[in-house]
Amino acid sequence: MTREEMIALFMENAGKVAAEPIRVRDYDEFGKVLNEALAETDSVFCPGLTEKENAVHIPPEKRTKEYVSASACIEEASAAIAETGSLVFSSEKGKPVQAGLLPGHHLAIVSSENIYETLDDYFSAIGSSPPTNITLETGPSRTADIELTLTIGVHGPGRLTVIVF
Amino acid sequence: MSTSTSGIPFRENTVPALRDKILRAAMSNATETFAVKRTDAMAGLPVEEWREQASALRMHVLDNLSDYVDRFAENAARAGANVHRAKDSEAAREIVASVLKDHRIGRVVKSKSMVSEEIHLNGHLEKEGITVVETDLGEYIIQIAGEGPSHIIVPAIHKDRRQVGKLFAEKLGCDYSDDPAVLTKVAQKVLRREFLSAKAGISGANFAVADSGSIVLFTNEGNGRMCTTLPPLHIAVLSIEKIIPSLADLPKFIRLLPRSATGQMITSYLSVITGSRKPGESTGAQEMHIVLLDNGRSELVRGEYREMFKCVRCGACLNACPVYRMVGGHAYGSTYPGPMGIVLTALLEGMERAGSLLDATTLCGACGDVCPVKVPLPKLLRKLRESRVEQGLTPKLEQSAMAGFGKIVKSPMLFHLGQMAGHLFWPIATKLGHSAGLGRMPRPVAKTFRERVS
Repeated sequence: MTREEMIALFMENAGKVAAEPIRVRDYDEFGKVLNEALAETDSVFCPGLTEKENAVHIPPEKRTKEYVSASACIEEASAAIAETGSLVFSSEKGKPVQAGLLPGHHLAIVSSENIYETLDDYFSAIGSSPPTNITLETGPSRTADIELTLTIGVHGPGRLTVIVF
Repeated sequence: MSTSTSGIPFRENTVPALRDKILRAAMSNATETFAVKRTDAMAGLPVEEWREQASALRMHVLDNLSDYVDRFAENAARAGANVHRAKDSEAAREIVASVLKDHRIGRVVKSKSMVSEEIHLNGHLEKEGITVVETDLGEYIIQIAGEGPSHIIVPAIHKDRRQVGKLFAEKLGCDYSDDPAVLTKVAQKVLRREFLSAKAGISGANFAVADSGSIVLFTNEGNGRMCTTLPPLHIAVLSIEKIIPSLADLPKFIRLLPRSATGQMITSYLSVITGSRKPGESTGAQEMHIVLLDNGRSELVRGEYREMFKCVRCGACLNACPVYRMVGGHAYGSTYPGPMGIVLTALLEGMERAGSLLDATTLCGACGDVCPVKVPLPKLLRKLRESRVEQGLTPKLEQSAMAGFGKIVKSPMLFHLGQMAGHLFWPIATKLGHSAGLGRMPRPVAKTFRERVS
């Protein structure tokens, strides 16, 4: 599978589980997409630990250091898996994995070179000393506990935007 | 293992269950939906190959279970977890209670775990003065209703939206609504406060990884992630047979478990948690405890029912079972219902208690067909039935009837007499049978087979 095919498959599968995948090709597009996505958000948390996270422009009055009370979290995923449309967040390099769980809107940046084709490709690469927390996130939080009626956004985010860059 | 000797009154339990129209409708809707979703999710995929591989891998672990348990315990400890081994339910409950009491914790958040139901953890903690808040929506519903789970994946499957609406209005003081989205928001708001103030979280585990000492959790709502990352203390309770060799084996089970359980390709969240928070990290409980429950398993995996312990608790056999579909989970009166539940309960709690559950099967084989790890449930159920007869635990009337029938068929003369008597007494027998609730009996044929061929 070529890189482009992997990106396409990842975006297709993420879309199937109610995530909103968007492809951007340069920092201009990236900025525009983020501006639109954040227009209606009042407080945004961004860990600022990667180059792309640092390129996120958030107006100072909207930026918060508290992910617990933020209405959106923007962060870069460690990896992504095309087979399932999953994002991978891990606690390596001091990343707060739980930050993307509390705000109602989760915006995930995926570097296209970090997409794995299959679950096997990803899990075989981890080895036997993983960081404390690795979480695969596939679509927004959901439940069907009442009469099997699908409800999006239970304890975790109700909206998941995925920006493939 | 429990030593309780009072048998589960399964037949008696089915009477109110079958008369409960809401339950019947909810069960038929849910099991049907799940069965269809499962079939759709498997379509066009090499599922047989996956099942074979997953089954072989589970069997390999069971064949070497004590080595794998040691390896898991060692690696989990190296990653910073405090690993406790619990011989039985009582020991497991005690360990959890003492860890919490050592930290003076009086309130914990908990994500869904069938093992915690098996050891009756919540009741024990409540007795010790510790409040347990269930955070999975389904578990939360049944907790405030004061009930137990009726399905291993969707615990409140037996309730309809109006019942949940009334329950929330009564217990939480909110306005009545029968909209699942509104009810979900109500629970979310209440539980968010619990998550943010909790000093400890309790979880189960879907798998444990020997090579890395990790536990793996599949969840959809996000409550499992909150329980394991927000409080400073995390206690995971799991049974020893949940182990898989390495993380590289995990994809085999990711492909099968959610598809078999809910028809999803993968759950919304899948967490691999390895020990406690390390220096330089911002995620993970500062203190992590793992309670490894044996409860008879290390003996049972060496016995003739060992294949039962391949089970990954997906619930597919419940949804496929014609008996479960009719009566729901509560009628079983056991922690685990449905076909897998009958076998596990008989093994964990003994035949005297669980023998009656062996009537809750038609031996149609549907459970075996849907099992993602090829647990031969029909074979195990048949074996247990044989063992129930050998132990003399079938109803006395049935025993004497079968003994009498055995004598009659052994003697051609008695058999012939029996056939004649059948003709003679049929009008009376069918009347008596009907009034005893046995339904209609077929009229004996005018000429028997032997009369026709001789």
